[in-house]
Amino acid sequence: MKNFFRKVAFGLKPDEKEPSDPLVWAQKQVETIPEFSWKGKYILSEKEMRKYWIKQRVEENTTLRKKYKKDPAGLRRAERQLRYDTGAKFWPSNEICIRHTEGVNSNHPVLGKLWYFWTNHFTISDTQSLAEFSTGAYHRDFIRANMDKKFETMVQEATVAWPMIMHLDNKENVGPKSESARQEWRRREKRPATLNENHARELMELHTISPKAGYTQEDVIELAKVMTGWRPKWSKKSDNGTDVTFDSERHEPGKKIVLGKEYKSGRKSLEVVIKDLVNHPSCREFIATKLCRYLITDNPTTDMIAPVIKAWEQSDGFLPEVHKAVIKVAFEYNDKFRKFQNPENWWLTTINMSGATYSYPTKVKIMDSYPLGFKPSGTIQFPDWMLEDIGCHPYKQKQPNGYSDLAKDWMSTELMIRRVMYAKTAFHKYNVRDQIDDNLHEKIVRTNFDNPEKILKILSKAKTNEEKHIILFNLPEVLKA
Amino acid sequence: MKISRRDFLKGTATSLFLAGFNFPVLASTTRKKNLIVIMLRGGMDGLCAVPVIGDKKFEKIRKGILIDDPIKLNSDFGLHPKLKGFNECWNENTGAVVHATSIPYTARSHFEGQNLMESGGKVPYKDKTGWLGRGMNLANLKEDGLALSLPMPLLLRGVPKNNNFYPTDGKLPREDTLELLRSVYADSSEEELLDMMNFIKKRKSEQMMGGGQSYDQRNNKNLAMKAGQVLSDPNGPRVAVFEVNGFDTHAAQGGIDGTHTKCLVEMDTIIQNLKISQKTYENSIILTVTEFGRTIKKNGGNGTEHGYGTAVFLAGGLVKKSQVHTDWPGLKRKELFDGRDLNATIDARSIYASAMSTVFDLDFKRVEKEVFFGDKLQNLSDKLFKA
Repeated sequence: MKNFFRKVAFGLKPDEKEPSDPLVWAQKQVETIPEFSWKGKYILSEKEMRKYWIKQRVEENTTLRKKYKKDPAGLRRAERQLRYDTGAKFWPSNEICIRHTEGVNSNHPVLGKLWYFWTNHFTISDTQSLAEFSTGAYHRDFIRANMDKKFETMVQEATVAWPMIMHLDNKENVGPKSESARQEWRRREKRPATLNENHARELMELHTISPKAGYTQEDVIELAKVMTGWRPKWSKKSDNGTDVTFDSERHEPGKKIVLGKEYKSGRKSLEVVIKDLVNHPSCREFIATKLCRYLITDNPTTDMIAPVIKAWEQSDGFLPEVHKAVIKVAFEYNDKFRKFQNPENWWLTTINMSGATYSYPTKVKIMDSYPLGFKPSGTIQFPDWMLEDIGCHPYKQKQPNGYSDLAKDWMSTELMIRRVMYAKTAFHKYNVRDQIDDNLHEKIVRTNFDNPEKILKILSKAKTNEEKHIILFNLPEVLKA
Repeated sequence: MKISRRDFLKGTATSLFLAGFNFPVLASTTRKKNLIVIMLRGGMDGLCAVPVIGDKKFEKIRKGILIDDPIKLNSDFGLHPKLKGFNECWNENTGAVVHATSIPYTARSHFEGQNLMESGGKVPYKDKTGWLGRGMNLANLKEDGLALSLPMPLLLRGVPKNNNFYPTDGKLPREDTLELLRSVYADSSEEELLDMMNFIKKRKSEQMMGGGQSYDQRNNKNLAMKAGQVLSDPNGPRVAVFEVNGFDTHAAQGGIDGTHTKCLVEMDTIIQNLKISQKTYENSIILTVTEFGRTIKKNGGNGTEHGYGTAVFLAGGLVKKSQVHTDWPGLKRKELFDGRDLNATIDARSIYASAMSTVFDLDFKRVEKEVFFGDKLQNLSDKLFKA
């Protein structure tokens, strides 16, 4: 049964009392969205963060390039300084501190783990400096903030949010028959108005109905037409950093047909089409399968998925109900299925079970004392480069489909070396008193395993506490929950 | 471009006839031959890398992202001028291009496409192994695959005990610790974990980044140098796989200094640095794979959309000669796939199968049957490679 705490959360701390009713304990956590447990001063909104993005973009592309036209070395220096000034090397770590505190230093780790699921579902991959400034805030403002609402609301907001529109190039999606297409400057600058299918395709393929729904290229094109015009307005002062609005001049006129249904021209249609996509049977099946795959097993059975789909149908996709349903399935299948944990969730399990949460995530005091304009210290940057090194950085996915949830994709010599190395790193997150506490590992094991004797016997072969740590957190029982 | 499809076929007939005089040399069994695959993720634009030349209409459609001053490869095709490494291969008669080719996938999704370019199948996500892994398995090559990336790509799956290299910071724990973990995995029948732990135990500390070595160690340039080294070892791996990301340039694809160019140059750097190890290069086929090409027409954001036909680069001492091998479909509107993309007239899997047949000394028919599910493929071994 104790495995359940690793399955839906990150295990228990060495001194944590085991909840008497694990299912109720887990389900209660997803009912509401509490404030962030991170108490640092920088929890800035996506819009506030965009100011830094704008500063970076505008100064880099115009001011500096003009100023250092003939001095490439000077330009490089100035660019480096600019990145310190805008906090490009600080924000990702600060965001990860907020993110990971939810997992290991809050009273709702289950909500945290599901939040990570959704941030991966609505991946913003690493382009256009979004990772440095915006992705973390996007995950807070548009994903987490909607986890107590209907899935439809989440899709509506996640779709037209500025980082997503930027990430999937919808600002370039212009109706070929739109008013804008006829404007003189397009001929002059040889920038004809064309559709950009990127966002439309991913909205169907990755975010809602998946290819299983059987849509065609024609559907993609038609949906792209529906999406024309949703973009930030470019200005010299803020580059593409203005709010996303509906620009009717760029909108393709005329009706569009997506999956056999007709949509009118205009701003309202995107909302309607999203509503239809979300209510498509393939959508709930796709999401239910993904949720089961994330928490329970690489290959969910129809019996596992069915109760989640049912909860979806009964609640009209109300996420707390959908989450409760999948938690219940995870509970029921707890003993029969083990789920290989991705590197980020494994790291958090390691930190949480160790009880080293006093030094990871980096302390609020340290993060808050960082002055913009300086090179951040190694301690401050640790979360950022650690996640990159273990191959699971939530803001630096290479592609919009995010990270895989399959064990196969997390198995390789190098990825295993990372687990060995970072179990060691986790040990050194302890203060000296804990490092020399010879009873600590027994406490961890007794709190977290149903078969403590077997595991203690293995650990007894290790010669040092550091070695015990490496072994313990690389046991199959921890790698798979 | 002046040649039409019919002209081209006439040309092929001649060379086919001539090819008949070349008797295949029996493969020596002692020679260690290598296959190196570079995966180009995001959809590599074959017409950016290897543009047709002298086609006014093409130049017009691509204005803004057209590559100026391509290196002339022959009367019909040019090479992106920044691909200096490949150009060197070409000049040494060991670089070739297959053009207007693609995997048989036309639905334009990256993720389905990449899944298929690695699995070699026709139904996305159906096959859990890669064509290269299955080919190695058929040739009985175990412990012979090396991925130069952090995860193990699908492409190599299907044969046990592949290794990868993508160094991290620090020093590995002592041998006893690793041995203890190894025995735990052995006792709990965790086969995959056990295989990996066996590799980790062989890993030497100089293969880590401890002691002040920088993260540069894991850029593709240095990974290629490293791969060149280990492949030249007679007991080293025989297959290496690289990845280059970022070819999906819907916006700001750019011309000579654009994003697409940057990605192509990264591919070129891999070829260049593999070549440093001459022994490896001489005994290898280097080939590229991608999920699809890109639209001929540029979009309003100076980018291109997902397309179909593209180009495959071939390099190495086992490449028969420098050539652009193609059954050119033409770029007139009616000749395009769906009226928008370069068509594909050669199943790219024919190239993969021929390369494996050459490097692994496997009968082509067997590769076709057991690796590519019996799909009808073209044996290009004699045209493209030498044993």
